[in-house]
Amino acid sequence: MTAFVAVLSKDLRLELRSGMSTIAMVALAMLVLVVLVFALNPGVARGPEAAAGALWIALVFAGMLGASRALLAENENACIRALLMSPIDRATLFAAKLAAAAIFMMVALAAGVVLTVLFFNLNFSGALVRLAPILVLGVIGFAALATLLAAISGRARGGELLLPLLIVPLFVPALIAGVRAAGAALSGAPMATARDWIGILIAFDVLFVTAGYLLFEHVIGEE
Amino acid sequence: MDKRLGNFLGAATLVLTAVSLWMVFAWVPTEAEQGIVQRIFYFHVPLAWVAFASFAIVAVAGIFYLWLGGQIWDDLGYAAAEIGMLFCTLMMVTGSLWAKPIWGTWWTWDSRLTTSFVLWLLYGGYLIMRAMLEESEQVARFAAVVGIVAALDVPVVIVSVRLWRTIHPAVLVTRQGGHGLEDPRMVVTLLVSITAFTLMFAWLLMTRLAVLRARTRSIELAKAIAMAEFRAGRA
Repeated sequence: MTAFVAVLSKDLRLELRSGMSTIAMVALAMLVLVVLVFALNPGVARGPEAAAGALWIALVFAGMLGASRALLAENENACIRALLMSPIDRATLFAAKLAAAAIFMMVALAAGVVLTVLFFNLNFSGALVRLAPILVLGVIGFAALATLLAAISGRARGGELLLPLLIVPLFVPALIAGVRAAGAALSGAPMATARDWIGILIAFDVLFVTAGYLLFEHVIGEE
Repeated sequence: MDKRLGNFLGAATLVLTAVSLWMVFAWVPTEAEQGIVQRIFYFHVPLAWVAFASFAIVAVAGIFYLWLGGQIWDDLGYAAAEIGMLFCTLMMVTGSLWAKPIWGTWWTWDSRLTTSFVLWLLYGGYLIMRAMLEESEQVARFAAVVGIVAALDVPVVIVSVRLWRTIHPAVLVTRQGGHGLEDPRMVVTLLVSITAFTLMFAWLLMTRLAVLRARTRSIELAKAIAMAEFRAGRA
C-alpha cells in the first residue's frame, strides 16, 4: 500500500508541476467537442443524446492521447528501470499507474462536461451528478486497458499508433453501454432504464482491472 | 510438424471440399423462401465456426505461453489469429452478399454482425501489432496478453451488443420445434461443409506452424553460425 501511495503521489506531484498530460487532454477533449459541433451543425449537436455521444467520443480521444502517459513517461531517462528494480510488486505498480491515468482523465473529462453543457445547450442540473459515476466507470475501464497495453507502445517505432488499434475495439462494449447510460442520465430518464448499461460498465471495469492486475507483470519488464 | 499428417490433412481437405461443393451446388434442394441465395449458408456457417474457433485458440495458446512458455504456443497463437482473420473476413463477405437480397442491405448493425465486426477489429489490431513489431520474447508475451484480453472482451461485447439490437436469425441454435432446415439433406450438407472447412483449417494451421517453426530454427542457426565464426576469428 505504501508503494502504491508513493508511486501515485509521485505521479500526481509531477503532474501538478508540469501539467503535461492533463492540459493536453483537456485541450484535446475541447477540440473534439468543437469538431463535433462543426461536423454536425449546432442544430443537430444539441440535446442529451447527442451530448452523451460527444462526451464519450471526447473520453476515447483524450484517453488515447493521455491514458498511457503515466506509464510511458517512465521510459524517459529509463526511469522505468529504476521502478522495476525497486522492490515494488508489478501488480501494485499497475494499480498506481492506473489510478494516476484515471485521475488525469477525470480532470480532462470534468472540463469536457462543462464544455458539453455549454456547447450542447444543456443545463447545469442534477443530471450532471448522475452522469458523474457513469463517466468515472468509463474512465477506469479505459485507463485499465491503456495502462495494461501501454508497455508495448514504448517498444516500437509507431507504437503510439498501435495503442488505439488495440484499445478502441476492446473498449467497444463499455462505449455502447456508457453512451446509453449517459444519455439516460442527461435526459433525466429514471435511472432504472440505465441499470443494465451500468451493470455492463461495472462488469467491464472489474474484468479488465483484474486482468490488468494479473497480467501486467508479463508485459512490463526487461527488454 | 509431421509431414505425413500434413499430407493426409491436405488430401482429405481437397476431397471433402470437392464433395461439399457438389452437395451445395447440385445435391441439396433449394430453400423454398429464400431461393438459390440461401446456399451461401453452407459456406457462411462453417466460416463463422472456424473463425470463432481460431480466436479461441489464440486465447488458449496465450494462456499456455504465459503459463508454460515455449515458442510453439506463440507460433500457434500467431497462426490461429492469421487464419481466423481470413475466415472472419470471408464470413463477413459471404454474410454481406447474403444479406443484400434477403434483408435488402449489405450491412446492418445487428447484434451478431456487430459482434463479428468487433472481433474482426480486435484480431486485426492483434495482427497489425505482430506485423509491426520484430519478433522477440517480449512481443510474444505481449501478444499472449492481447489474445487473452481480447477473448475476455468477447462475452462483454456479446451481452452489450445484444442489449443494443438484434435481427440475425438463430437458425441452428434455438427456436424449439424446428431448426429452420426442413430437408434432412440440408443438415447433411451443412455438416459435410463444416467438416471440410474444419479440415481445411487444421491443414492451414499445420502448414503455417511448420513455416513459423522453420523460421525460428533458421534464426537460431544464423545466430549459431555467427557465434562460431566469431569464436574462430578470435582463436
